[in-house]
Amino acid sequence: MRAALAVMEKDLRLAWRDRAGWLTAVSFAAISVLIYSFALDLAAREVRPLLPGLLWVTFLFAGIVSSGASFQTEGERGTLDAQLLAPVARTALYAGKLLANLLALLVVEVATLGLATILFDESLLTLELGGIVLLGTVGYVSLVTVLATLGSRVRARAVLMPVLALPLLVPLLIAAVRATGGALGEPTGDAPWLLLLAVFAVWAAAGSALLFPLAVER
Amino acid sequence: MSAERPPDAPIETSVGPAVEPAVEAVGLSKSYRGVAAVDRVSFALPAGSRTALLGANGAGKSTLLSLLATLVAPTEGSARVAGEDLAAAGPELRRRIGVMAHLPMLYEELTPAENLRFFARLYSLEDGAERGAELLHAVGLWGRRDEPTAVLSRGMHQRLALARAVLHRPPVLLLDEPETGLDAAGVELLERLALAAPGTTVLAATHRHERIEGWASGRLVLDRGRVVEDAIERPPAAPPVPAEAGAPALSAATSSAGEPPR
Repeated sequence: MRAALAVMEKDLRLAWRDRAGWLTAVSFAAISVLIYSFALDLAAREVRPLLPGLLWVTFLFAGIVSSGASFQTEGERGTLDAQLLAPVARTALYAGKLLANLLALLVVEVATLGLATILFDESLLTLELGGIVLLGTVGYVSLVTVLATLGSRVRARAVLMPVLALPLLVPLLIAAVRATGGALGEPTGDAPWLLLLAVFAVWAAAGSALLFPLAVER
Repeated sequence: MSAERPPDAPIETSVGPAVEPAVEAVGLSKSYRGVAAVDRVSFALPAGSRTALLGANGAGKSTLLSLLATLVAPTEGSARVAGEDLAAAGPELRRRIGVMAHLPMLYEELTPAENLRFFARLYSLEDGAERGAELLHAVGLWGRRDEPTAVLSRGMHQRLALARAVLHRPPVLLLDEPETGLDAAGVELLERLALAAPGTTVLAATHRHERIEGWASGRLVLDRGRVVEDAIERPPAAPPVPAEAGAPALSAATSSAGEPPR
């Protein structure tokens, strides 16, 4: 646990000082919500069915922007190897990176929800929606973290994320969008979307933790 | 990191004598897409020995060091480092290895003090702050400990990489061209802290042939992944026999590649 906390603190400090990752993610999220609000220009009742999809597309790309660059740098500078040389479990390193990415993206998401609340005149900062966003982000960040690690080890890193991450994320995104719609009072059918989202988040977190030691092998 | 220390005080770099032999490879191989980077390499380094790893570019020196450092998995063969099997590659093995690679393996956005503090936490060093301060003094970076590492020169990066490598007092040091970017004072520092540190087993890849007599007690020469010359210092046979006066420091024993060490 000490090692995981050390990695998390280090990654958050690096992200703060580097600025490029989180500034790009925040800017992307803010611009996306602004563009959607002006493009749609609908009343709150009419825009509500579209909101879940808009929000999760924004979260998805903001997450890819913020997490991918840091892993690429770790691979290029050899600092990932330096951590692998330390006498700590690989899963502890993974946990630290996961927590850092999770916290960073949650900050961007809360800011996005706040901005969307103002622009769309729809109350989005609710406890229920917060829980859905948290679950979806855990699943999403778990997968992105391990795939970004894998990406730092291979030459074809530029194509790895779209080719591998996006198809793997489809079940999560469908569940997250439908659960978000349900939280906003939209009809979502009989499927237990929130339960499916929780199952996917647990599966992604556990699977990625098991996969991480293999992803860092050379 | 506020500890002050006299500049000439001796620096502890190792926990003490390691088990015998400190590094032993038997038929160790690594291939990439069918091409052997390291080809059935066998040798044994006695504890406390200091061996220069020589060979032309592409001879397999870096791959061999990466194998021993557990960063690369072997295709064939086995090895033991500091008494631990390489195949297990567990935390105990990694705790006993210090590595300097081609890259400094440092975070540019962190300060030298923060870099050492982070790695001290990963190694669970109880005296991490004091140890970091001691090494920053030793490598001459105490005055720049709070500047971003990115602004330091190449030589200063290498000095900090040296401090990171010996931070946890490893009994085995694996160094890949550690003198790169260092000035004369830096090379002297490298020899004092790592290459000639008492009780530490050193395997260091280098192209600086003119300097190895100063620190190496043996040499291992690779060519196209194979051992072509094994002049590793041998431990005294039991019972120990007093060496003849004027005997050479190196017992130049040449073994063919693939044969286990004597």
